[in-house]
Amino acid sequence: MAEAIRRQAPLSRWVIYAVLVAFAAFYLVPLIVTVLNSVRTEQDIGSTSVVGWPRELALSNFGKAWGTYCIAQRCEGISPFMWNSILMVVPATIISTLIGALNGYSIALWRFRGDNWVFGIITLGVFLPEQMKLVPWTLVLRDLGLSNTITALVFIHVIQGISFTTLFCRNYYVAIPPDLLKAAKIDGAGYFRIFWRIVLPLSPPILIVTVIWQFTHIWNEFLYGVTFTTGAQQPVTAALIALSVSVAEAPQYGVQSAAVLIAALPTLLVYLFGGKYFLRGLTAGAVK
Amino acid sequence: MGPDIRRRGLLAATAGLAAAPSLARAQAVRPRITVISQWSAGSDGAAITKLGEAFTAAGGTWEHNPVPGFTTEMMNKLRADILGGNPPAASQLKGPEIAAWSRIAPTVDLNAVVAEAGYEQVVAPDLARLHKPQGRWIALPLQIYRTNTLYASKKAMEKVGATALPKTWAEYNALAAKMKEAGITPVANGGQRPDDGQKFETALVGIDPAAYRRAIMELDDRTLRGPAVLAAFRQLRMMSEWMDPAASGQHYSTFLPRFIRGEMGLLIQGGWAQGVIRHAGFSDDDYLIGQAPVDNGTPAFLLNADAFIFWRRREAELQAGQMLMARLVMSKEVQQTYSQTTGSIPVRTDMDLSGAGWSAGQRETAASLAASVRANQSLLSLAHNMAQPNAMTAAMIDVLTEFVHNKSVRPEQAVTRLADAVEAAR
Amino acid sequence: MNVQGRPAAPRRSWRAALAPWLVHLVLWPPLLVSVVHIIGFTGYTSWISFTSSTLIPENDFVGLRNYNSVLASRNWAIATENLLIFGTGFVVLTTAIGLTLAVLLDQRIRAENVLRTIYLYPMAVSFVVTGTVWSWLLNPSIGIQKLVRGLGWEAFRFDWVVDRDMAIYTIVIAGAWQASGFAMALFLAGIRSVDADLYKAAQIDGAGPWRIYRRVVLPAIWPIFIAVMVILLQYTIKTFDLVRALTGGGPGLATQLPSLVVYDLMFQRGLLGRGSAAAVLMLLYLLAVLLPYFAFVQWRKRRNARHG
Repeated sequence: MAEAIRRQAPLSRWVIYAVLVAFAAFYLVPLIVTVLNSVRTEQDIGSTSVVGWPRELALSNFGKAWGTYCIAQRCEGISPFMWNSILMVVPATIISTLIGALNGYSIALWRFRGDNWVFGIITLGVFLPEQMKLVPWTLVLRDLGLSNTITALVFIHVIQGISFTTLFCRNYYVAIPPDLLKAAKIDGAGYFRIFWRIVLPLSPPILIVTVIWQFTHIWNEFLYGVTFTTGAQQPVTAALIALSVSVAEAPQYGVQSAAVLIAALPTLLVYLFGGKYFLRGLTAGAVK
Repeated sequence: MGPDIRRRGLLAATAGLAAAPSLARAQAVRPRITVISQWSAGSDGAAITKLGEAFTAAGGTWEHNPVPGFTTEMMNKLRADILGGNPPAASQLKGPEIAAWSRIAPTVDLNAVVAEAGYEQVVAPDLARLHKPQGRWIALPLQIYRTNTLYASKKAMEKVGATALPKTWAEYNALAAKMKEAGITPVANGGQRPDDGQKFETALVGIDPAAYRRAIMELDDRTLRGPAVLAAFRQLRMMSEWMDPAASGQHYSTFLPRFIRGEMGLLIQGGWAQGVIRHAGFSDDDYLIGQAPVDNGTPAFLLNADAFIFWRRREAELQAGQMLMARLVMSKEVQQTYSQTTGSIPVRTDMDLSGAGWSAGQRETAASLAASVRANQSLLSLAHNMAQPNAMTAAMIDVLTEFVHNKSVRPEQAVTRLADAVEAAR
Repeated sequence: MNVQGRPAAPRRSWRAALAPWLVHLVLWPPLLVSVVHIIGFTGYTSWISFTSSTLIPENDFVGLRNYNSVLASRNWAIATENLLIFGTGFVVLTTAIGLTLAVLLDQRIRAENVLRTIYLYPMAVSFVVTGTVWSWLLNPSIGIQKLVRGLGWEAFRFDWVVDRDMAIYTIVIAGAWQASGFAMALFLAGIRSVDADLYKAAQIDGAGPWRIYRRVVLPAIWPIFIAVMVILLQYTIKTFDLVRALTGGGPGLATQLPSLVVYDLMFQRGLLGRGSAAAVLMLLYLLAVLLPYFAFVQWRKRRNARHG
């Protein structure tokens, strides 16, 4: 592909860059507002406007947000909650992605009776709103004896996540040319060998997309986090909300913005790290 | 605390010893309480932390698990805990929802401890009623806010040569018109749902407190379709014309800087706004504060009160903890600390607010509560879920918020819509 | 599977014998768990929608009462109309932006990694918070309008968020801002999985780059389009935090969406039965979109089978 483009006139290259940068600017505006607020004092924000330049640099917001702000009587900032979120998001993302890859592979390339039905139902699962499932999950967790644990959240996110991960992987694997598999089957390769030798090496781009989706959604999920865990076990979103939602009081925008930036770091790292695998996916395609 | 608690503790301890003679069991009756609330940070968080400190100082073990977010999230947590068979010993809940939730899980009978404290005599009767559905005290109010409180920007007042808050709606309208002429946005309110409800209820209670009781608290259809409600909608329409068009959906705190600078004039908001204004770096002298207009000249007070409901638990130490908590919440000391931290006023009407820890606004509010109780004009706020269960409140606020933001709806239409919405939600 | 521990020679035959079963052993448990949870939860909600449940689930059947009251409410009427406007606008805009960015990023762009991260980051930040920031930016008295006027263009107007008729479009913009990066990632993953031989063949035929995209790449990645559509549709149906933080459903009721109505009924108003009825209606709307599509796919498959 790239070779075809390389021969383009420099003018069109400039247009491409201009469009990309313009979009980047559009995407960045809310981030800039948040970054600016994260270094403004509460008085500054409260007495002027929530959108504006800092009058003085208040870098202490970050220290407060990370380690000293009082949430639920514990003046340890969001750091303990970050750890809870990591304990929840890492296993849930890995397990649901692996299951999704196997499911997607089974449905896309290893046709079986009723596969269309199974896929249809799993697709429906993508659409069930969290609000609707809150009460049923309450009953399930009660019956499993998992109420008020991080394990409960991992469990929920894995089961719900399977729908998404299966969908992504299935739709990616469908595009793998069937000839490849036929050849492998003739060579006597079985279910796992084909998955391991042929499908998995082609998968990095979609696996990283899946991981990004799962990681960010589980990381940012709030409703289940506050309902199914208490106090010290709550995920970081609960702490962020504690800083932001207050009916009577004005939110602490400075500390909150700093907390938001800190809380978004793990996800951003996943994106940056995942970028490499996108490129590797490109190479894998080109080598073949 | 008191001798009773100790006696109870001793009794439970003796019983424990008799059943299973182990020392650990005897020590287990140290009062303990598990609490859930939405108060996790800010001054609400600070106030409940102080309550916890008082509880610990009285020899108890305090376990507060805040559920950050809106009240809905707190209620989701409560529902999950109740369905899971593990309700907290006490949880935040307010207004008619106390009665509604008490039907789905057993609660604690507090009648004895309330009678012992002589508490019923010092609580506004309409408020007391909410906390004793079926005549049994099962919940206790913590603090009170008045929702029909008017703030006026000093700078804006100076610009139009006004010095005192308007006493009647006619005065209010004249003042607002003057501000408008002077290029000031007269109404500094935000445009979120509770805010829209609050503007309406303040208008109605000021126009006719008796009609407010019949229409909003008793849902009397004739009053709902009557002249007082129509007049309140007309007033609300004027106020919506005087709001900044950018107020839709915004929290009122967004506009505080403009309010203090005198670009906006009048704000209807509960006492909590004082803390917010201070927090934004402004002073108590930047504004005037008092009761919103009441046309009949007698104080009228729209109550908004937070409360704890107590859920029945079998554990001896939790039961002891509930009694200790009840005593603390009713005590003057705890109410003083709590209200001074949040900017509310105490539930007890027999407290002396002349001390240094109280603001002029708090003193005026407390005096107004006592006077309005005497005049039978202490009423329950609609916008803050005190007058009606949440389902009814939400159905009514739907009509109010649409009226505020859709100027093509006429007051006459709104009256019909409100009465119909009430009918449908009954 | 104790198969692994056996010596080499018999293992192969064991494996051959076991293979078809093994596949099913691996295949079914996760599929079953998700299928059971989906059908179970949907069925449960449907049942609750026919009961008088309020704060907690009850089991007394009340027929269609909940459905009647939901369908008769203004909230639901507004929410349904908004769902159409928001859904169409959001899906079209997000797909267009996502595909454009993916194609442009595929042109051997310097700093691709950085750009891609910028496009994706909106998903990384808590939605409750970005919704709040958007509500400031869109607010005429503190956001973009004020900024542009401050730069000297006094007549500039951008007050959609407080305009009852336009507010729903601000939700479209904020939604597209949030989701288009992910659409871009999916498209890019698809484009990069296309067999290099296909390009070469097309190049040899003398096709230009844009023609190659139109004729070779896009048809090859049609399953990705389906994935993107499904993801965006579920976004449409489930958009909740963003609206709650951006407009709270206002001005008035102007930006109500079914998901907000469901949550409001179930938990704010404490009417589980009625809220469940709203949730079921929402799923029925969805099926009204999805079923014709599935029927079309089946029809095409059968036609292809006949012709092929």
